[in-house]
Amino acid sequence: MLDQKLKWIFNTFSGSVFNTVISTFCIVLLFFLINNLLGFISNSEWAVVTENRRLLLIGRMPQEEEWRAWSILWISSFLIFSSLKSFVSPSKKELAFISLIVMILCLIFTTESSIFKVSITLLISAFSYFLTKYISNTPIIHKFNKFLIILWIFLVPLIFCLLLIADGPKPTLWGGFLLNIILASVAIGIGFPLGLLFALGRASSLPAIKIACTVYIETIRGAPLVAWLLLAWFVLPKFLPEFWGLNDISVVVRAMIILSAFTSAYTAEVIRGGLQSIPKGQIEAADSLNLNVITKTSIIILPQAIRVVIPALISTFIGVFKDTSLVFILALTDLLQVGRIIPEQDPEFFGKALEALCVVAFMFWIVSIALSNLSSRVEKSMGIGTR
Amino acid sequence: MNLFIDKLSKWSRSQRNRNLIYQIIFLVFIGFFVNYLIAKASLLELTLNHFNSRAGFGISHTFLIDYSSNNDRWSAYFTGVINTIRVCLVAIVLATLIGTLMGVARLSKNILFSTIAFLYVEILRNTPLLIQIIFWQIIFLKLPRISEALTLGSTVVISNRGILLPSARAAESNSSNIFLYIILLAIILAFGISYYLNKKEDINGMKLKLFNIGLNGNLTGTLIFFIISVFTYYILQKPYIIDLPSLYQNSKGTFLQSGGFEFSPEFGAILFSLVIYTGTFITEIVRGSIQSLPKGQTEAALSLGLSNYQTMTNIILPQALRSIIPPLTNQFLNLTKNSSLAVVIAYPELFMVSRTIMNNSGRALPVFFLILFTYLSLSLFISVFMNLINRRVTRIGT
Repeated sequence: MLDQKLKWIFNTFSGSVFNTVISTFCIVLLFFLINNLLGFISNSEWAVVTENRRLLLIGRMPQEEEWRAWSILWISSFLIFSSLKSFVSPSKKELAFISLIVMILCLIFTTESSIFKVSITLLISAFSYFLTKYISNTPIIHKFNKFLIILWIFLVPLIFCLLLIADGPKPTLWGGFLLNIILASVAIGIGFPLGLLFALGRASSLPAIKIACTVYIETIRGAPLVAWLLLAWFVLPKFLPEFWGLNDISVVVRAMIILSAFTSAYTAEVIRGGLQSIPKGQIEAADSLNLNVITKTSIIILPQAIRVVIPALISTFIGVFKDTSLVFILALTDLLQVGRIIPEQDPEFFGKALEALCVVAFMFWIVSIALSNLSSRVEKSMGIGTR
Repeated sequence: MNLFIDKLSKWSRSQRNRNLIYQIIFLVFIGFFVNYLIAKASLLELTLNHFNSRAGFGISHTFLIDYSSNNDRWSAYFTGVINTIRVCLVAIVLATLIGTLMGVARLSKNILFSTIAFLYVEILRNTPLLIQIIFWQIIFLKLPRISEALTLGSTVVISNRGILLPSARAAESNSSNIFLYIILLAIILAFGISYYLNKKEDINGMKLKLFNIGLNGNLTGTLIFFIISVFTYYILQKPYIIDLPSLYQNSKGTFLQSGGFEFSPEFGAILFSLVIYTGTFITEIVRGSIQSLPKGQTEAALSLGLSNYQTMTNIILPQALRSIIPPLTNQFLNLTKNSSLAVVIAYPELFMVSRTIMNNSGRALPVFFLILFTYLSLSLFISVFMNLINRRVTRIGT
């Protein structure tokens, strides 16, 4: 037994000269990386993060408006953890990983004053997870799932209600991680349906519509996002109509408009790939059943097309979420900007840029890795490529 | 009147005519929208005349163009374009290399190797590029100050003002241009000869012989290139000399550096982050393409007695290349557009220079169209080039 294991180790790590060289190189590299990482974590002072938690998470939102952020957090943690059990049902390994990340987040962002609210959040998460687990074998689960889906769809309007009701703070005061989440969800919420329309338009047989959609998509994709954001900064207000005070909209709304337009163009390209992958027989069959265009598109073409491209769509959405960090062009203080500005402007934290940047990167990484795991899971469960 | 409605309803019953009506309605709406946009745009200044006036700002990185703040805005813009092309070209080559290496590594049987590739992809693909750019800039600025600069002999100088590498400099004679042309000719000649010899070997099944020595195509080409270049180098009396970087103190005690090829912190940061970030996507593309090949290909190659390395380079990668190139083109386009993020660390590429011009002139729209046009042409150039390669790759073996 031991002999076999030794043989296996020998074969995988040093079967040939080339392999031995690679293994040695990898060991040296890993040792170097881990050594540097541990040294960095133990030697650095994290005061730059722990004393600026509020700024990092919600920006300059006033203290008395904090309850809006908390209620958004509670609703989303309920949604996330019930959907986690209901739609994803993670294995024990994944659950351990999720709890580890939640623990790290709590360690970074809990203060003495907020410890009560943080424990409420944790309770809500655990409660929603176990509630869903409890009812998962009862017939209520189908209704519950429908409820969850509806809640997901209305999440973005709900967030806006919470931020705006009862004289909410001005949008220019939104900031930190909250701003990234808001921008990304608006961009996806508006950009995805628009992108669907543009993709259908580009695949249309009517030349006028086809050309118009193609021009739109290719123009938006032609220039980088920062250039479009700069355009929003300089000239977008001059192009908006003057009634309702539309021509002096806040910078946040301008960022939302540009991000949605950008998302729609990229989503349209992804969905177009799905539309092209549908066998021609499907469309011919729908035509021979004498379905009209709208029925044909909505119940035959789109469900099949979107199903194929869900992984690609999710990776586009990850890209959009990562791209919300580019709003620095519009002088908005999103998470990354806060993380950059604090070590530059507060003399107490001079030279602590790397620590702040690491926490910022970690926050972005969590959301992206969660989405990308979701995408690979969807890919597996649908068996794309194996069917 | 009745007759007219009757005729109209009959006419509109055909699918073709109805499509025509839909399109006309759509075009009318688009026409109104475009008309509105044009009416608004005509209130702004739309010409690029102001590009002929003095730029008035300095650019820290100039390459090929001799730029100073007294030049006009066009030359500032072209300096920016050249900086963009420079960083993109190097980044595209390096990202392809690192992506291919890591893509092969992810499928390696060596667990250490595949783990490193896995961590590389999962960590670096999921953090925004902007954070990585700033990260590399911080790392470069943490290098020792110039008064305590690290030197490797007298060949490399490393400090937080950049890394100086030895380079070649044209000597004080007129023969340096002639030398460049001869080198170019030698490269063409070497490629031609190796192509000819390889073709002969393919057709005859044996190497072409000169004095009973079989000529290997690649080896002969390389040898010819070296012989020609070394000979001309000495015949033209050393047209290029090696330029070593040096570090010295002036009379006031300030450290200065001179000579060599300067690898500035900004250029390094944008290059590293673009290479590493795009490399993760290329890794996934390469892995996907290799996995999509039938397993029998590897097994057949191994059973013919080819080594793992030979199997990879001669059997697997050439076949995988067919499905790699279209998504790879997409990544190259993304890389080119992402290079505009260098604005955050003040590397003066196209976008940053254009933004400065926008701020100085106050005429944003025409400058924006210029940016759009430039990026579109760069994208078009990359697409056409990659399509040529794609056509060549898909033709082999079919």
